[in-house]
Amino acid sequence: MSDNVKINVNGLQIESEPNKLLIEACEDSGIHIPRFCWHKRLDPVGMCRMCLVEVETPRGKMLVPSCTTEVSDEMVVDTESEIVKKAQEGVLEFLLINHPLDCPICDKAGECPLQDQTMAYGPGESRFVEEKRHFEKPIPISEIILLDRERCILCARCTRFSDEISGDPLIEFIQRGNKTEVNTFPNEPFKSYFSGNTVQICPVGALTSTSYRFKARPWDLKSTRSTCNGCSMGCSIELNSSQNKMLRILGVDNEHTNQGWLCDRGRYNFEYLNSDQRIKAPLKKTEGDREETTLQDVYSDLSKIIEDRSNKITFLLGSNLTNEEFTSFNEFSNKLGNNDNSIYLNEDILFKGFFDENIENAKIEDLNKSDAIIIWAEDLKETLPVLYLRVRQAVKNGVKLVVFGHTNSTLADISDVYFGGETVSNDFEIVKDISKLKEIKEHIKDKNVTAILGKASPNQSDQSLEKLFSYLKDNSNLKLLNAFNGGNSFGAFQTLGSVKGNREFSSEISKETTDLLFVVGADPVGKSIFSSNIKNIIDEIPTVVALDLFIHETSELADYIVPTSSTLGEKEGTFTNIEFRTSRIDKLIPSPGQALSDWEFISGLSNFCKFEGMSESLTDLNNKSFDSFALDTKPTFDNLDKPRNLDGIINTSVPNINTTDESIEFSDSFYVGKKLYGDKVTERHSKSISLLGSSQFIEGSESTFEKYKLNSGKCILVQENIEITVSYKINPSLPDGLIFFPKNRRNMNKLDFSKNIQILPSHSMEVLNVN
Amino acid sequence: MKETILLTKHMRENPEDSHLIESYEKSNGYTTAKKTLLGSSPEKVLEEIKASNIRGRGGAGFPTGVKWGFLAENEERYLVINADESEPGTFKDRILLERDPHQLIEGIIITCFAANIKNAFIYIRGEYAKPARRVQSAVEQAYQNGYLGKNIFGSEMDLDLVVHLGAGAYICGEETALLNSLEGRRGEPRLKPPYFPAVKGLYMKPTLVNNVETISSVPWIIENTGEEYNKLGVEGSTGTRIFSLSGHVNVPGNYEIEMGSTFGDFVETLGGGIRNNKKVKAYIPGGASAPWFRGDQLNIKMTIDDVANNNSMLGSGAVVMMDQDTNLVNAAKSIVSFFAHESCGQCTPCREGTTWLEMILDRVASGRGRTSDLELLLDICDNISPGLSWPPKMTTICPLGPSAVSPITSLMKDFREEVESMIPTKVLL
Amino acid sequence: MSWDDKLIKQAKKIVKLYPQKRSALGPLLHLAQSKDGYISDDSVSVISELVGITEVQVKSVSTFYSMYKQEPTGKYLLSVCKSISCEINNSNSIIDVVKDFTGLSNNETDEEGLFTFEAVECIGACGGAPAIQVNYETVEGLSTENTLNLCEWLKNETPDLVVADELQNKFGGTKSFDWAISDNSGTTGSVPGFQTLNTTKDKK
Repeated sequence: MSDNVKINVNGLQIESEPNKLLIEACEDSGIHIPRFCWHKRLDPVGMCRMCLVEVETPRGKMLVPSCTTEVSDEMVVDTESEIVKKAQEGVLEFLLINHPLDCPICDKAGECPLQDQTMAYGPGESRFVEEKRHFEKPIPISEIILLDRERCILCARCTRFSDEISGDPLIEFIQRGNKTEVNTFPNEPFKSYFSGNTVQICPVGALTSTSYRFKARPWDLKSTRSTCNGCSMGCSIELNSSQNKMLRILGVDNEHTNQGWLCDRGRYNFEYLNSDQRIKAPLKKTEGDREETTLQDVYSDLSKIIEDRSNKITFLLGSNLTNEEFTSFNEFSNKLGNNDNSIYLNEDILFKGFFDENIENAKIEDLNKSDAIIIWAEDLKETLPVLYLRVRQAVKNGVKLVVFGHTNSTLADISDVYFGGETVSNDFEIVKDISKLKEIKEHIKDKNVTAILGKASPNQSDQSLEKLFSYLKDNSNLKLLNAFNGGNSFGAFQTLGSVKGNREFSSEISKETTDLLFVVGADPVGKSIFSSNIKNIIDEIPTVVALDLFIHETSELADYIVPTSSTLGEKEGTFTNIEFRTSRIDKLIPSPGQALSDWEFISGLSNFCKFEGMSESLTDLNNKSFDSFALDTKPTFDNLDKPRNLDGIINTSVPNINTTDESIEFSDSFYVGKKLYGDKVTERHSKSISLLGSSQFIEGSESTFEKYKLNSGKCILVQENIEITVSYKINPSLPDGLIFFPKNRRNMNKLDFSKNIQILPSHSMEVLNVN
Repeated sequence: MKETILLTKHMRENPEDSHLIESYEKSNGYTTAKKTLLGSSPEKVLEEIKASNIRGRGGAGFPTGVKWGFLAENEERYLVINADESEPGTFKDRILLERDPHQLIEGIIITCFAANIKNAFIYIRGEYAKPARRVQSAVEQAYQNGYLGKNIFGSEMDLDLVVHLGAGAYICGEETALLNSLEGRRGEPRLKPPYFPAVKGLYMKPTLVNNVETISSVPWIIENTGEEYNKLGVEGSTGTRIFSLSGHVNVPGNYEIEMGSTFGDFVETLGGGIRNNKKVKAYIPGGASAPWFRGDQLNIKMTIDDVANNNSMLGSGAVVMMDQDTNLVNAAKSIVSFFAHESCGQCTPCREGTTWLEMILDRVASGRGRTSDLELLLDICDNISPGLSWPPKMTTICPLGPSAVSPITSLMKDFREEVESMIPTKVLL
Repeated sequence: MSWDDKLIKQAKKIVKLYPQKRSALGPLLHLAQSKDGYISDDSVSVISELVGITEVQVKSVSTFYSMYKQEPTGKYLLSVCKSISCEINNSNSIIDVVKDFTGLSNNETDEEGLFTFEAVECIGACGGAPAIQVNYETVEGLSTENTLNLCEWLKNETPDLVVADELQNKFGGTKSFDWAISDNSGTTGSVPGFQTLNTTKDKK
């Protein structure tokens, strides 16, 4: 670029973009300057003083911290002079005088910047003969993180991350000078959804995860890069295993998506892979019990049913399948002659969305480049956490934020406009004339706008969102992210001929329409708002086959249960995220027992049924998934493995979502959503995080609960013969009358929100600690 | 030599009630401010301050006129008076706050007029309870009499003044740390660049941070012209300055003098000489951060430039005399210990280094030193302040680290035998 | 919230003095100190809400500054200066006297809740070295004898109001400068007597 700045480093001429930090400019040109406190994704603070370099000034050479110095034209820098080397040795000696000799028992050893930089730049011996600083070690600062203050070098990466990036500053520096320590407030643990990131960026072993502590040494680990499928962000991850057990998940810096960050559920929800509760062999239901059988037996039984069927064969697919698996089911369904009407996606919120050749699909990075961001969707912090981080980052860089209530109140304090109860009704309709809303007009008129739109609750009408969409389309340069947050739902959109959701399933399917139902990686009976309907349907359908990892509320109803592999490290494939970016899913560990991939099962079944023309291999399925895309941007395995494509390839397409546009009616001012941590079977079997999703509660404003005469901290939800005791949490940002139910917590599936629910005071004086 | 009375005039002439507004008004107080607001212009005021060549009285000695000139344009600007006087040996701002707060307030009014500032703060260290009370009462009286608030003297100017108490942190005397403290944060110094207060100060808006004595000098300068002020003292150190004299002298106290006399003259004439007729072993010319001078260097002149040319600093104007019986290792330990306790902890060399220096000096002072400690002390100092040069280079964010180095370099340069004598050379079996 | 309405009202008044709420954190912590003699966890919660930051952020600031005490303090906070001018003027003997009389080490409070002793850095009384502060009311020019007298007087008289001028006249010696006219105001606890905090009163 013509605007590039030329600087001289150690005698070498280097070019850099203007205003770049010296440390980064050198790094990009292969010159490494040691550092502890500087991190590419955090604002620089110049605290550790490890990155000092000499720069020529009119008054002679000066030592400056390269992480806070911007490059300027004709700058002359020396990163290797005697003075710089002495300064580096000095800083390391200072850091080591109070640092405990913990390497033999410290998790970080082997991947520790302090160790590495001491070897490369440090003094050979210590001259410190005094007593080192002591703290009680380690102390748990949350359910999943332990803090060892003796090891801490006070680089402030963790406190800065919590303050700047995730916006929950629950850890901070306490005391002053040599007595400074990082800590939390008593009884106020580090309960951030993003706390695991601090463990990853900590340059020493001060912050460690309970799930990884003492488990392995970095040189024992096998690694591969993959994609998280917990939500539709598709964060880039690195999987670490040892002895065929998954041990750790790290965030990979993908500029386009997660920039190295992960939410804690994406990071820590993997221990279930090793659970001994996983199904190891196919199971067949016999007279009230279950017995092990073989895959051949299952194929044999099913092929007969398929041959003799008079009604359809229906598929209810979870969003966690790979693109290749969706394609496999699509193929199979077409082969069965089901035409387009028999594949359903296990999603409660599914509607036409805003996909069209005329609508520009946004990239996640467009958030930073817009003038304004408009959000109306489910709570981003709970459902698309790393997207929430990117929104925060954009706002920090000056982008305006307009938020429609009532699900994203966590963004209210950084938003420029927040539309609460005066503009948005309790059933999520905008009650005023949008075109007359002055506050939004100034931010969007003729400006570049990125909108994140999706139903805030299943009972929000399609029309309600369409009104907002039309207004934005007509008045701004609009790009849009459709906020469908379920795992690989965009992969489903791209590969399935037609998509419908749980709502359509619960109204269209019955024993009259379906002989054989496959429920694949889905637990609607456990977690859908249509749970009871779906349960009845499953009960009455003649044959139900569940393909899953565990026995749960849905799979336990099935006649056949076939164990399958997890998309997290047990199979290969591809995943498509919210911006239609397709990236690699890779295999690292074997599946337990006889578990196999869903596509392998279908392939085996097709063979048994002697179907012809079916895809024979994963590569076939991969090619078939992306048939319609141009050759050089096709996300084939080969193409994705190319260095320039490791972050994924974007191919926008227009899905065929065949949902009804009739609104779901709730019986009262309720809304339903997911919390990041829930009671899913996989979470229950991941020890470190299993308690985080265990509390049962409802939320509402103080006056809402006063009307119900609640005052003991707990209440009883009553519906017909169901009674559930839960806590109630005051959420002052909710308008009066509106009550939130977290649908992925235990027992919430028992409630039918279309019917009356009574909320009665409980006389118990016990108050639960609610997450 | 004699004192030259400018700043301390009103308080000397009115010991009964110099801190009260009635007294100040009787001495023609606030008339300079009135004349300025109603008849002068910001540019004219700035010209006078520049003509006076007054240099900041806090410790850094930066030319005040130049500092005011740097203030960036903005709707929202602030003036913060640094009354966080915590440099050991210094108590000159204390007398100005306690005995003549209205002089400071009048200076603030004129300064804010010159710099178009509507909000000012006086940040007083928390331990100065009595001075803070006097200043707060004075501020309340000033509001009552229309010298603060809206349309002062009927002019267009509004000014709000808030007295803010610190809470015990020497580092908050550093201007950016003070701004952080005033914002309700930890008193940690900011990086300069980019956070120069004149551009990104309080709440990231352009801010002037000035010492109490500097602003207290403004009314006299405006009343009598900068040229007159410039005639006092010597070139490079114009006007008068209050020096705080303490240590082993007969008459410790605050003395307002023109700069240019020698330290020896000052101590003999005004300070009454050393107690019990003892000789000076060493003395500190400008507060605990300043390198020491030996007893045979009493002929150094008390000007900013002369002291700087002798590798020390006039700093906060605090002169501490140490007589021939002073245990200098203990003295050095006391000063190093001060900086170790007051270090904010942000940067590695200061946080770890100053405490390490304190620990070593503690061992040496209590007879548990080792011969290797001598070089070790100097090497640690070199890692905080490379080259041990003057003015000091620093590997740290702010000059507190290098300040801790001063007593050690002084000790080792001029009094090495005393240190060596404290290190046991015999091994007792 | 165990801050009563009156205190909350005063706190809100203080918050209004500043262009940004967070600036009130310093004075509110002094207010908390005046209420309990230290910064209780409860005060931290109240303040965090008034100022709009998290509790650990409040704690981070309160532990940075030496005047915000994290443990309960006695009725009289005895702060003896140990910085250079006082150190070379015998402050160690003054410290020994106070330690002997109270039986306390640095930063300790006695069981009766009468005295807290701390050796502090420069309090700006260098001309009157050695010097002491009782609840931040300065007494300059102390001798070991007068220090003992001061301690005994505090223990026997237990005055509610500590006034610098009164103590100086009774027990002080050389001053840093001429204090001129005495005034009668002092403080009521281990917190600076300052009008905005309502911690100062005039002695009758």
